[in-house]
Amino acid sequence: MKVLACIKRVVDYNVKVRVKADNSGVDLANVKMSMNPFCEIAVEEAVRLKELSIKEGGVATEIVVVCIGPTTAQEQLRTALALGADRAILVESAEDLTSLAVAKLLKAVVDKEQPQLMILGKQAIDSDNNQTGQMLAALTGYGQGTFASKVEVAGDKVVVTREVDGGAQTVSLSLPAIITTDLRLNEPRYASLPNIMKAKKKPLEVLTPEALGVSTASTNKTLKVEAPAARSAGIKVKSVAELVEKLKTEAKVI
Amino acid sequence: MNFEMTAEELAVVDSAEQVAREVIQPLAQHYDETESFCLASIRALGDLGCMGINLPEEYGGLGIGSLAMSRVVEAVAGACASTASAMTAHFLATDSILLGGTEQQKQEWLPRAASGELLGAFALTEPAAGSNPADMRSRAAREEGGWRIRGSKHYITNAKEADFIVLYVKTDADAGHKGISAFMVPRGTAGISFSSPEKTMGLRGSTIYELALDCWLPESALLGVEGQGFNTAMAVLDRGRVEVAAMSLGIANAALQASLSWVRERQIGPKPLAAYQGTQWRLADMYAQLESARMLTMKAAARRDSGERFSLDSATAKLVAAECAGFITDAALQLHGGYGYSRDLPLERYVRDARILRIFEGTSEVQKIIISRALLDATR
Repeated sequence: MKVLACIKRVVDYNVKVRVKADNSGVDLANVKMSMNPFCEIAVEEAVRLKELSIKEGGVATEIVVVCIGPTTAQEQLRTALALGADRAILVESAEDLTSLAVAKLLKAVVDKEQPQLMILGKQAIDSDNNQTGQMLAALTGYGQGTFASKVEVAGDKVVVTREVDGGAQTVSLSLPAIITTDLRLNEPRYASLPNIMKAKKKPLEVLTPEALGVSTASTNKTLKVEAPAARSAGIKVKSVAELVEKLKTEAKVI
Repeated sequence: MNFEMTAEELAVVDSAEQVAREVIQPLAQHYDETESFCLASIRALGDLGCMGINLPEEYGGLGIGSLAMSRVVEAVAGACASTASAMTAHFLATDSILLGGTEQQKQEWLPRAASGELLGAFALTEPAAGSNPADMRSRAAREEGGWRIRGSKHYITNAKEADFIVLYVKTDADAGHKGISAFMVPRGTAGISFSSPEKTMGLRGSTIYELALDCWLPESALLGVEGQGFNTAMAVLDRGRVEVAAMSLGIANAALQASLSWVRERQIGPKPLAAYQGTQWRLADMYAQLESARMLTMKAAARRDSGERFSLDSATAKLVAAECAGFITDAALQLHGGYGYSRDLPLERYVRDARILRIFEGTSEVQKIIISRALLDATR
């Protein structure tokens, strides 16, 4: 079984982001970029399926990792290769793409690669859209198991435990299928230093949206990006009566 | 001089920094307080493939440049200086084999040491032979089929935990430096007794021991060529000084970063500490010294890979970086006031850990001897 793991290059989660002076977006100059944490979980799950299948005689046999992004996203693809993916595909696009454009590009890669399982992060920590996996499912017509906290492949089915409000839901999907990862699915490993060095020898193919025949034209336009309002200073009240009064009239919480 | 790293080297540094921050740093206080060997941190580095970053690929090493190697050492030292000390002591041992061993010895020991399977120790110093190794009294005498070793060593990092010790002793008592040879001593060799760990000011998670030696070693235990031990040890220490400089940067940078967040939070009267000019000037001095030491360390690292002589560069980097770590950790503690003196924060640990940097692998005074000798030789 071929597994397609999809990753995104985002601002590292440790970085405190700053909005550009003209409010057109987040300032990315000299900012550390990393693989989206939910995508790390997707790659880790693919690698575990392959390790499991080595022991159990062949469930996942090949992991292809794909990223839609700028040339520099090769860094994140190399990280995925160091973590255990077999080969990588970069669909190079310098533009800031919508979820739908990304899903269309991934659909083209799916058509080309014909994977049985596609694993994506549930959302990216930069735009927080939580749409790409679902849109890819709609475009391909495959079943989807979103917010996965457990994945088990058995024969031509994959059983996915989903994190839903107030509990867990278990669904069985026919392969090919699409999974998006939640936080509890696994704890990603660290890329070992020798594997980082070996990753440079693994194949990395660069494609373009044009070559895939996909238009990334968008109907959306970002008008403005603003930093959250600074928290204003608190006040001290003189009595319990004054506190209750303010909670009633100003905060309107009681 | 090239200070660029390859994409793979940058990724290696990145991964090591992540493990240092997430795995090693949280254990540092525990190992310091319990004065116990930083085993879990060294295992984590072994799992990461970090124990062979000083070695070429042909012997199971990572094959990265010294610039990237020094950045990894810096990251580990910033998280836990004890762990960095245990790791770099292992590098002194494997560098000894790399520079002084026969091809067979390199093949036998280095790949397993690089993978983290075997831990090494480097035994040169003696109670009466520190800055001048020629003063050493430990002897190896030929016996039928091998060598009889008698003597003692002290301040030997990792000695008891190590799977092998590279031991420097005199095979010719009358030949001064030229009478020193190195031997491979595997773990479990009969006739070696270890003291309890020495009680030290800093690096308390990195255990050091005194060794009493009365043991027999086979002929094959001689590392490389008889009488070459001093040259090997000096070349190893030239390399090692780049690592001590990198350790110094790691501790100093950790102290500076802690200070930067502290001075913004700490209010003195109506203003945060950061708003006072006295604080600002101190921070600027700390940064300027750190960056000067960093440039010297990068230069020594680049020179180390060039194949040229780099004793002058590594001694200068080690001297300046170790001294600056002393200044910066002290200044950082002072900025934290009473909180810095408390063992709840790592500032006092940084001060204690940084103190040895001016002493081991050649004191600051020894570095000055090396530097001035090189200068005078060059202008003769």
